[in-house]
Parts: sequence; structure tokens; C-alpha cells
Amino acid sequence: MDEARATRLVGAVLRCYPARWRRRHGEEAAELAALLIRDGTPAGSIAWSYLAGAAREWLTPRPGRRLSTLACALLVAAGSLGVSAGLLAATVPAKAAVTSPAPRPAHCQPGPPEPAAGVIPAMGRPRVISLEAGHGRSC
Amino acid sequence: MSGRDGRAGQDVLRRVGEASVLILISLADGPKHGYALIHDIKELAGVELGPGTLYGALDRLERLGLIESLPADDRRHPYRITAPGAAALRVHLDSLERVSAAGRLRLRLGGI
Repeated sequence: MDEARATRLVGAVLRCYPARWRRRHGEEAAELAALLIRDGTPAGSIAWSYLAGAAREWLTPRPGRRLSTLACALLVAAGSLGVSAGLLAATVPAKAAVTSPAPRPAHCQPGPPEPAAGVIPAMGRPRVISLEAGHGRSC
Repeated sequence: MSGRDGRAGQDVLRRVGEASVLILISLADGPKHGYALIHDIKELAGVELGPGTLYGALDRLERLGLIESLPADDRRHPYRITAPGAAALRVHLDSLERVSAAGRLRLRLGGI
């Protein structure tokens, strides 16, 4: 990456910091990045370090910062997690509902269903797995 | 708990992270700005501090009153360790020495 592009990349990442931080450290941080790039430090790692720093800066509560900004960020994060979890939870019962069980032969009807190999029945009482004659995988 | 209250004997640096401790050690022999700190810490401990980590740690230490920013020299702000900062560093290094000695003793006792 050439120096101009690296400087642009770092400049873009520095804009992710809160204005208060940029007023205090912005110019010095850009100059420090330029010096480090000249020393051979990859621009990507500098940008990544500043990006992580910007995230920490936004997420660390400060006495002077309006709580609403932080609350909004947390709400958006929690909301997106909730939507993902909701979608995931909704697809599982839907799949189960559309899958109709295969008709069983008459000799299989009274017995309890055989647990599938490797599957632990959730929330149920312990089951004894018995393999009777005629109750193989075909049932 | 803050470095400003001057409570002697309490290791206020226990929870600030390695970067902050390294910065204080680097500043112990005189004021430095960001670029000099990164180079000194690399020589001192073999740790390459990222600039984002550096500024985060500097802000935290300044809030705790353990370092202070000096008037800008060109665009660079040199930082200086304060008296509570030096005291906190001494307490932390003493604590590390005790833990280190105990660890070595246990290794000897364990015959490892």
C-alpha cells in the first residue's frame, strides 16, 4: 500500500473516534501513524489498532458523555441479536411441523420410539435402549 | 479507587492492563511522547504497542492522575509520570516481585 493510500486509510479510521478525542489527539495520532508507517509498520495493523481504540472509546462510559448515545448503541446491538435469535428459533419448529412421520408397521406401534444413535433426548426421563428382535432401524 | 487519593500500599495498577504498566515504566526515567513511548516499550519489553492501545492507556492513566500531559511540543504531547503514578508503580512492582518469588519457590519445592 502506498503512503498516500495508507494515510487516507488511517485518516478515515481516525474519524471514527468521538469529536472530543479527535480534538485532543487527532493531529498527533495522524502524525504518529505516519511515522510508524515510515518505520515499516503495516498501515493495516495501525488502522486496526485505531479502529479497536475507537470502539473502546465509544463503549467506555465517560462522565461527560450523554448516556443516550451509549444506550442507543447497546439497544441496536441487543436488538440485532434478538432478531437473529428469534429467526433461528422460528425456523426450527416450522421445519419440525412440516416433516410428517413415516407410517410405521403394525408391530412397531405400541413400543416407545427408539432414540436415534448419538442423540440425547432433551428434558426427558432416562431411557433404556433395548434392541428387540424386529425393532431395528426399519421401524 | 484512584491514584489521586494517595492510599499507600494499594496496588491500583492491578486492573489497568499491561500496556498501562509498561507506559508507566517507560515514563519513569523522564517525559516522552507517543512515538518515543512505542519505541522505548519495544526495546524494554519486546512489546509492540498499537497506537490505539497507546492512546487508550494514556487517557486512562491521565484520568487516574498517574500521568500528566505537558504542553505540546509541535503537535506532540509529551507525558510525565506524577508522584502518585510513581508510588503506584512502585507498589505494583513490589507486588509482582512477591508473586514472582513465590512462583520460583513453588517451582523449586515441586522439583520442576
